[in-house]
Amino acid sequence: MATVPKVEVGTDYKEKYGFFVPEEYVFKAKRGLNPDIVKEISWMKQEPEWMTKMRLRSLEIFRKKPMPTWGADLSVIDFENIFYYLKASDKQSKTWEDLPPDIKATYDRLGVPEAERKFLAGVSAQYESEVVYHSLQEELTKKGVIFTDTDSALRDHPDLFKEYFGTVIPPADNKFSALNTAVWSGGSFIYVPKGVRVDIPLQAYFRINAENMGQFERTLIICDEGSFVHYIEGCTAPIYTTDSLHSAVVEIIVKKNARCRYTTIQNWSTNVFNLVTKRAMAYADATMEWVDGNLGSQITMKYPSVYLMEPGAKGDVLSVAFAGKGQHQDAGGKMIHVAPNTTSTITSKSISKGGGRTSYRGHIKIYPGANNCKSFVKCDALLLDDESRSDTYPYNDVDAENVTLGHEATVSKVSDEQLFYLMSRGIARAEAETMIVNGFIEPFTKELPLEYAVELNRLIQLEMEGSVG
Amino acid sequence: MGFNPESLAVLQGEPDWLQQRRRGALATYERLPSPSKTDEEWRRTDVSRFDPGQFSTLEHLDGLKLERPSGLPSGVILKPLRQAAKDHPELVEPRLFTLVHADRDRFAALHAAFFTGGTFLYVPDGVEFDQPVLGQHFSHEGGNSVLPHTLIVAGKNSRFNYLDEYVAEDDAETGYRSGSTEIFLGEGAQVGYVAVQKWGRNVWHFADQRAELQKDSTLRLFNVTLGGKFSKTRVEASLAGEGSNAELKAIYFASGEQFFDFHTLQDHRVGNTRSDLLFKGALQDVSRTVYAGLIRIEKHAQRSDAYQANRNLVLSDKAKATSIPMLEIDNNDVRCTHGATVGPVDPDHLFYLRSRGIPEATAKRMLIQGFFGDVLDRIPFEHARKLVEAELESRIG
Repeated sequence: MATVPKVEVGTDYKEKYGFFVPEEYVFKAKRGLNPDIVKEISWMKQEPEWMTKMRLRSLEIFRKKPMPTWGADLSVIDFENIFYYLKASDKQSKTWEDLPPDIKATYDRLGVPEAERKFLAGVSAQYESEVVYHSLQEELTKKGVIFTDTDSALRDHPDLFKEYFGTVIPPADNKFSALNTAVWSGGSFIYVPKGVRVDIPLQAYFRINAENMGQFERTLIICDEGSFVHYIEGCTAPIYTTDSLHSAVVEIIVKKNARCRYTTIQNWSTNVFNLVTKRAMAYADATMEWVDGNLGSQITMKYPSVYLMEPGAKGDVLSVAFAGKGQHQDAGGKMIHVAPNTTSTITSKSISKGGGRTSYRGHIKIYPGANNCKSFVKCDALLLDDESRSDTYPYNDVDAENVTLGHEATVSKVSDEQLFYLMSRGIARAEAETMIVNGFIEPFTKELPLEYAVELNRLIQLEMEGSVG
Repeated sequence: MGFNPESLAVLQGEPDWLQQRRRGALATYERLPSPSKTDEEWRRTDVSRFDPGQFSTLEHLDGLKLERPSGLPSGVILKPLRQAAKDHPELVEPRLFTLVHADRDRFAALHAAFFTGGTFLYVPDGVEFDQPVLGQHFSHEGGNSVLPHTLIVAGKNSRFNYLDEYVAEDDAETGYRSGSTEIFLGEGAQVGYVAVQKWGRNVWHFADQRAELQKDSTLRLFNVTLGGKFSKTRVEASLAGEGSNAELKAIYFASGEQFFDFHTLQDHRVGNTRSDLLFKGALQDVSRTVYAGLIRIEKHAQRSDAYQANRNLVLSDKAKATSIPMLEIDNNDVRCTHGATVGPVDPDHLFYLRSRGIPEATAKRMLIQGFFGDVLDRIPFEHARKLVEAELESRIG
């Protein structure tokens, strides 16, 4: 790997060589952001012209939009000091030894297999699941399901791609969706045809073999009428990255009678700013479910949302945030009721410890004419020590008739009675606290596939260690 | 026309410090821009069509009717605020506009610069009396400004009740109205405070009601908002002493094209403090209400207990209620709960009553009365309770 020549792009590369770089080359755009870099990215990927134009337009929007002044403090991000495009092979040049010891130790404690660890740490792109992936791929192809990375989708399914890309989250939606549209790379593309049920969850694990976890992933999922899919991204083990900004965009279209569940478990290393825009459009009698767990990162700002576009649509957000020392998890959900007779629920559970801060930020909007809607929001926060902080900012706007809307929130500590009960049964204090915390997030863990639930419980155990004085 | 230094000239015979404070507030008013929709607090509250300058005539400088309870214990001072500023500067000067800050926004500044009527009530340490003090603020005509300010100082272990009533003689009046209150509760004081706003249906009303609670004091505040085409009320309690307890309750009934905005703050600055807030409102016709409340528990305020709820009963298809209950908790040893609901009369309840042979209109009225029932019970004293019940009754009709 080390012998592969390094090529700097952005200055004279295109003119000098004028050919597409084969995959085994290390490609690295320059730091910073300008139209030339965006053009280079698009050219490297041999994208159609409309995409190049869209990227450039988005870059303009990104530049014009002010930084959000609410939520977490983002002023420390230096947009000029970021690599906007890195090929996977470049990331692989790191070695296992370069990893910070606490990350390695966590892998050990979680019992993540060696090969998987290397994959997670970004030191290896080869992952044993490739075989699984291929047999899965055959199954899916038979049913007509498309499950591929977003770059390939643009190449192989241009019409389908163009029809939906950027329709749920237009570049001008917010500053970071504009940034993502300008420099996106990687992510998943899923199309489920009419009436098809995908029984096993589709996992980003299986797909990401050559391409590593991207900074600016772009995911697009289309569930055609009456279909069902469950997509899982992320994992409980910490993902180590030297990149300080992760800004993904996830767009989902759930058509009539279809159901989509999107599960995320995010555990970025604590130097990462995780600013993600996730949105789904749910049509008649469709169901969209976001299951969203945020454990890592320095700052997360993420509010999965569902636009309930036609009568009978249902939206569901289940969110868990865990903020330790130096972390700020600003998470929540948005439900936009555009059509009458739509329902939504948001359940948020947050845990703060060691001076960490969790914020629930949510928005329920019921548009004029969207009559007979029901919406319910429940937020529970657990504060494990007196240095930590928890905030709740729910915004509820009702402009329609006969709407029932409820919001409830509680903030508490681990109750002395519960602790006493467990300890009187001979359980050590630390263990008892862990049990209580695990119980607190149970509504979340029970929605996860078993292996994730087990890992998450173990992770909470790790995070809890040392928290009891 | 417009509010300017010359308009201050009518407020003659005031001590220098007060004139100076008014000039300062006027300068702040001139300096501050009108709140825009980009300010979070004003995002849903549109004041762009309000020009206070057109109402710059000040009405009845000390116009209020004060009902002194018979047998008021000696030492209690109850006077029009401007008179008190002259007679008791040592009590008024250090407190006036120290809770309700003139520089908070343009309207707070204008109120501080031009407040006219209003009451000063001082109850010395250890003094208790049962009969409530009644302050009635009248507006006799429209097209002007009526800006009363109430300043209440409760000495240690004092106990009393106070009612502010804002009454319009002409329900169709236009104009600029305010009705702000500052309440200082000394250690162990117990104060019941009720404000009933019944201005005309075409006025702009701005009010700041803020209390500071010292150790072991108890405030029972009750706000009733009925009048105004636009009404913005901030109700804030600052729990500054351990063992203090603030109960903040409100009811509102919006109809026609009325717009009501409520901002509340329960600021737990020290530990072992308790606050309980319940705002309940009913909306009819095309009225709109906005509730935004914050519970803030500061770093060292351990063992605090805070509760906040906003319930909206939407009686018409076209009425709109927005509810934003917020929490900022900087401490783990607390109990904090909040909730908000917006919804119509429960059809199951209506069905139950109708199945018992009660006509729909009556059933609906019963349900509205029931909705307000639990909060009406919290009105701190009998006189105010009767007044509010009668007002509500006439509106539910």
